[in-house]
Amino acid sequence: MKFLISICLLASAASAQDDVILRAMRDELARSLTLKLTNLESPYYIEYELDDVKQYTATASLGGLLGSSDGRFRVPRVHVRVGNFDFDNTNYVGSAFNFGTRYDVRLPLDNSYPVLRQSLWLATDQSYKSALEAISRKRAALRNISVAEKLPDFTKSTAVKLVEPLTTGSLNMDTWLARTRSLSGVFNDYPKLKTSSAEFSALDGTHYFVSSEGTEVRQHSDLGVVRLRAGAQAADGMLLRDAAVFQSLDHTRLPGAAEMERAARALAETLSKLVQAPVGDTYSGPVLFEGVAGAQIFAEVLGKNLSLSRKPVLEPGSPGSIPASELEGRQGARVLPDTFQIVDDPTQTEYQGHKLFGSFKVDDEGVQPQPLTIIEKGVLKNFILTRQPVRGFGASNGRARLPGSFGARTAAISNLFVQASETSSVPQLKQKLIDTCKQRNKPYGILVRKMDFPSSASLDEARRLLSSAGQGASHAVSLPVLIYRVYPDGREELVRGLRFRGLNVRSLKDIMAAGNDTNALDYLENGFPFALMGAGSEAAEVTVVAPSILVDDLELLPLEDELPKLPIVPPPASSR
Amino acid sequence: MRPVGFLGLMLCCAAALGAPSGVVLNTLSEELQRNFIGLKQKADPPPYFLSYEVTEQEFHVAGATLGALNASADSRSRYLDVSVRVGSPKLDNYHRVRGERTQFTSGASISIDDNPAAIRQRLWLETDRVYRSAAERLIKIRTNQEVKVAERDSSDDFSTDPISTHTEAVHETKFDRQKWEERVRKLSIAFAQHPALLNSSVLVSAQGDTRYFVTSEGSRIQHGRGFARVIISAQAKSPDGMDLADAEYYDAVDSANLPKDDFLMASVARVAGHVEALLKAPVTEPIVGPAIFSGRASGVFFHEIFGHRIEGHRQKDDTEGQTFTKSLGERVLPDFLSVDFDATLRKVNGIDLNGWYEFDDEGIAAKPIRLVDKGILKAFLMSRSPIEGFVHSNGHGRRQPGLEVVSRQSNLIVNSTKTVPAVRLREMLIEEVKRQGKPYGLYFEDITGGFTTTGRAGLQAFKVIPVLVYRVYPDGRPDELIRGADIVGTPLASFSKILATSDKMEVFNGYCGAESGSVPVSAISPAILISEIEIQKKDKSQERPPLLPRPEQGPTE
Repeated sequence: MKFLISICLLASAASAQDDVILRAMRDELARSLTLKLTNLESPYYIEYELDDVKQYTATASLGGLLGSSDGRFRVPRVHVRVGNFDFDNTNYVGSAFNFGTRYDVRLPLDNSYPVLRQSLWLATDQSYKSALEAISRKRAALRNISVAEKLPDFTKSTAVKLVEPLTTGSLNMDTWLARTRSLSGVFNDYPKLKTSSAEFSALDGTHYFVSSEGTEVRQHSDLGVVRLRAGAQAADGMLLRDAAVFQSLDHTRLPGAAEMERAARALAETLSKLVQAPVGDTYSGPVLFEGVAGAQIFAEVLGKNLSLSRKPVLEPGSPGSIPASELEGRQGARVLPDTFQIVDDPTQTEYQGHKLFGSFKVDDEGVQPQPLTIIEKGVLKNFILTRQPVRGFGASNGRARLPGSFGARTAAISNLFVQASETSSVPQLKQKLIDTCKQRNKPYGILVRKMDFPSSASLDEARRLLSSAGQGASHAVSLPVLIYRVYPDGREELVRGLRFRGLNVRSLKDIMAAGNDTNALDYLENGFPFALMGAGSEAAEVTVVAPSILVDDLELLPLEDELPKLPIVPPPASSR
Repeated sequence: MRPVGFLGLMLCCAAALGAPSGVVLNTLSEELQRNFIGLKQKADPPPYFLSYEVTEQEFHVAGATLGALNASADSRSRYLDVSVRVGSPKLDNYHRVRGERTQFTSGASISIDDNPAAIRQRLWLETDRVYRSAAERLIKIRTNQEVKVAERDSSDDFSTDPISTHTEAVHETKFDRQKWEERVRKLSIAFAQHPALLNSSVLVSAQGDTRYFVTSEGSRIQHGRGFARVIISAQAKSPDGMDLADAEYYDAVDSANLPKDDFLMASVARVAGHVEALLKAPVTEPIVGPAIFSGRASGVFFHEIFGHRIEGHRQKDDTEGQTFTKSLGERVLPDFLSVDFDATLRKVNGIDLNGWYEFDDEGIAAKPIRLVDKGILKAFLMSRSPIEGFVHSNGHGRRQPGLEVVSRQSNLIVNSTKTVPAVRLREMLIEEVKRQGKPYGLYFEDITGGFTTTGRAGLQAFKVIPVLVYRVYPDGRPDELIRGADIVGTPLASFSKILATSDKMEVFNGYCGAESGSVPVSAISPAILISEIEIQKKDKSQERPPLLPRPEQGPTE
C-alpha cells in the first residue's frame, strides 16, 4: 500500500497543475478569504468539497426493469467559518441554515474554468453571508442563555496533500441492466414470495477537497452495490423479509453472476422456510450470535455508540434534545469482558483474504486517520472523532465520514476489528449455550444466525419498529432474522416473529464467551436507524470483523404488530 | 366511442411510430378482469368499479450556463394508478368529506419492460392494497353519514359516462442529445456578455407520455403525446437586495419543432436585456389605477383567478370558498367575454398547446366546453365526480401519476366581442388614466403563474407574480419599466373591471399545480384593459449582491 501512495504522489505533481477543477477550487478559495462585509469579520476557514461522479442505478423485479438511471453530478459543498477556532458560526441550532438568496450553484459538467469559478464564487458568497447571520444569531442567543460547558467550536489540523492521478472508469451499463433483470428473474421460480427485487447501483468519480489550511485532496471514488430483496407472507399474515447484499469499493470487483444467483436462491429458500416456521415465544436467557450475527451486534450496538454528538447552542426557551451515545462519559470504564480488544483501522485494506470495505486515506474534513484502539482489555479507551470538539476530546482522529448537524460532520467507524484473547470453537459455544440452559432448567436456548442489519425494512416499517421500541427508541436494535431454538439434544428449530428487548451496549458486558472464528460484515453506514438500506444520500463504507459471541441475560418477545390479512385474490402466477 | 374522423388526425404521426406491442394494455386488461372478478366473489364489501392507469414517461434534459453544460439526464418510468370503488355510485369510498383528502393510489413503479409476469405481480398487490384502504374508508364514511347533518350538495359520488376504446402507437420521443448539448452550450454562452447577471441558463427538455387505461366498465385506451420545452432564464440582484429574474419559455410537442437557434439567440438577448433593465428600473410605488395585461399575462390571470374557481369538485366541498357555486346562470364576467375550455385544441397561432389531450385520466374523451357565455356562467369543469346540476364528466378529470383525479383545467380560451387593435387599447388606457386623474397607467407585459387560494379558511386572495411591468404615461413619455410590483386584490372584483380587449390572441403554456399534482395547461387570451388594479411593493430580500466581483474580473485573475 505504501508503495502505491508514493507512486501516486509522484504522478500527481504534474497532473495536479493542469486539473481545471482543482485549479478553480484553489483560486476561488484564495480569493474568498478576502471576503468582508462592512465591519464584520472575514472567514477564518474555508473548505470546498466536490464530488464529481457518474452514478448508475437499476432496479428490477421478476425479470422486468422498474427503472434505471445513468447520470453525472458535480456537487460542491462549501463551508465558510467566521469567528475563530474557539467561537464560530457552527454548533448553533441555525448553523446549517441558508439565510440568504439561493443562487443556482450547480457546477458545470464541462471543465470550464471560468464557469467553475462563477459557481464557487456564488456558493461561497451565500455560505459566507449565512455564516455571518448564524454567528450574530448565536451571539444574541448566548446573551440570554448560559452554556453549561464552554467548548471550542473547531479543532486545528495539519495540512494534507494527497493528489492521486485521475482515473477514468468505465462501466458497461447494458451488462448491468441485463444482470439486474436476470437476477430479479430468479425469483420467478419462487411463486410463494410476495415481493422481490434486485437493485444495482454504482458510483464512479473523483472526490476533491481543498481548504484554506492548505489541504488538497483528489481521490478516485468508486462504489458498487447489488441488493437482492425478498418478502413473503406467512399463513397467519406475518410479513417476513430478508436481503442479500454485495458491495465493493471497486465496482469491477463485485462477485460474478453465478455467485449472486446462488445468493438469490438462498434468500428465496430462507424465506420459504421462515414462512413455515412457528412463531417464537417470550424468552429470557443466553443467546448465541453465530457467524455474521456477532459482527452485526458489534456494528449496531457498539459501532453506533462510538461517536459523540454535541448539543448546539439553542434559541432561548426552545427545547432541544440530541440523542446521546450510550457510552457518553464512560471512557475509562469497562464495557466488555476484559478479554476483548477492539481496534478501528482504516489503514488496513485486507484481512485474511477479505478486501476490507471501510478503508480510506483521508476523511471528509481532510484529516488522515490512524489506527485507533477503542477497547483495551474490555475498557473503553477512545471514541471516533471529527474536528468538532466534544467533551473530553480536543483533536480529530480522522473519522468524519458522514454529514452532520449544525455545521459539523458525524463520525463513523471504518474497519472495526473485534478480538478476544480467550476463544472457543463455534460447536463449543453451542454446547455452552445448551449446558447453560440445562443448568437453568430451560427447555431450549436461542441461537441467532442473522440480524436485519443493515435493515431491509421499508421506511414505514422502520418507523413502526422505532416507536414500538418505546423509550430510548433511538437505541432500538434491528430485528433478528434467523432465530433458532436449540434443544438439549442439539436439534435446531427455526422460529420467527421475535424481537429483542433491552439489547444495548450494557448487554455486551454479559458476553459469556467468544468464538475463534472471524466474520466480516461489510455495510454502508448512513446514520439512519438500523442503517436502513438505501436511506440517505451519503454513506460511509464500514467493515466489522468479529467472532461469534454468546451473550447472557437477553430477552426476546413476540412482535406485537397487527398482522395484515392475506390478499383476497390469489397471486397471478397460480391462476396461470 | 370516438368518431373515426378523430383517429384520422392521429394518422400523420402514428405512421412514423412503431406498432403498439399491446403487452401493457393486454396485461392490464387481463389482470383487471381477474382481480375484479376475484374481489367481487370474495370481498365484502365488493367493488363496483376498478380501473388501472399506467403512465409511461420518457424524459430527456440538457442545460447549460455560460457555455458549459450543467444538466444532462435521461429517464424512463412507468407509474401505476389503481382506482377501486366500493359501495355504489350514490355513495362510495371517494365521497368527499369536509376537510379530508382522499388518497388511495400510490403511483407505484411498474416494469418498464413489457414483461407480463413482473407487471401482473405489481397490479395484483396494488389492487389488494387499494381495495383494503377503499373498503376501510367506505365504512368510516357510512358511520360519518349517520352522525353528521345532511350535506348541501347531495350529488352522487360517481357519474355514469360512456366508455372509450382507442389505441394508438406509443409516442416516440426523439431527442438528439449531442446536437442539443451543443446548442444549449452555444446559446448560453451569449449570456457571458452580460456580467451583471448572477445566474443564467438555457435548458431544453423533451418528454413523452403514454397512458394506458382500462376499467371494469370496458374502457380500454392507449394514447399519448410529447412535451418539449426550452427555458431561457437569467437572474440578478439589485444593489438594494431585490432578486430580479426573467425567463422565456417555448413549448412544442416534439423537440424538433422548438424554435431555431437565431430565434432562441434573440430570446437570450431579450431575457438578458430585461434583467439588465430591471436592475436600473425604479422601485414600484403603491398605486391603484388602470392597466393593460398582455394576452399572455391575461391568460395567467384568468387561469389563476377564474379557472381554479370553476373546477367542479370545489363546488361541493364545504371547506372551499365556492366563489361561483351559486352563480350558475348569473353574470360573472362582462357580457363581451366568453370562456371556453377545449382540450382538443392542439395549436393556436402555430404554437403547440400544453393543455391538449385526447382522453382525461378517467378515460373520458376530451371535448370543447363553454363555461361562460357572454358573461354568464354556464358550467363547471367536470371529472366523474358529479355536482348539483351536473351529472356527467366533461373530460377534465386529471392528475399527475400517484395522486387522485380531480377536475382540472386544460386549454382555457378567453373570447371577446369587444375587441380593438392593440394601438387603440393603449389609447383607451391613456384615456382612462386621464379620466381617473392618475399619474400613469400600468402595462403588465409578463406575469408568471403564482398561486391562488380557493379555500374558505384563507383569504380569498390571488397572487400572480409580475415580471415585467411598465408605467404608461399619459403625456407621451416612453414607457418606464418598474421593479418589485406585486398585485393585490380580490378575485371577483377584478373581473367586473375589464373594459375591453385587444383583437389578438396570445398563448401561455405552463404547468399547473393543485391537489392532483402538476398537469400541463394552456391559457389563450387577448390583451385586456382593466379599469382598476392595485399594486404594492413586494417583500424583498435584505441581502446584498455578492461581495466580491465576478471571478473573471477579480484581483487574482
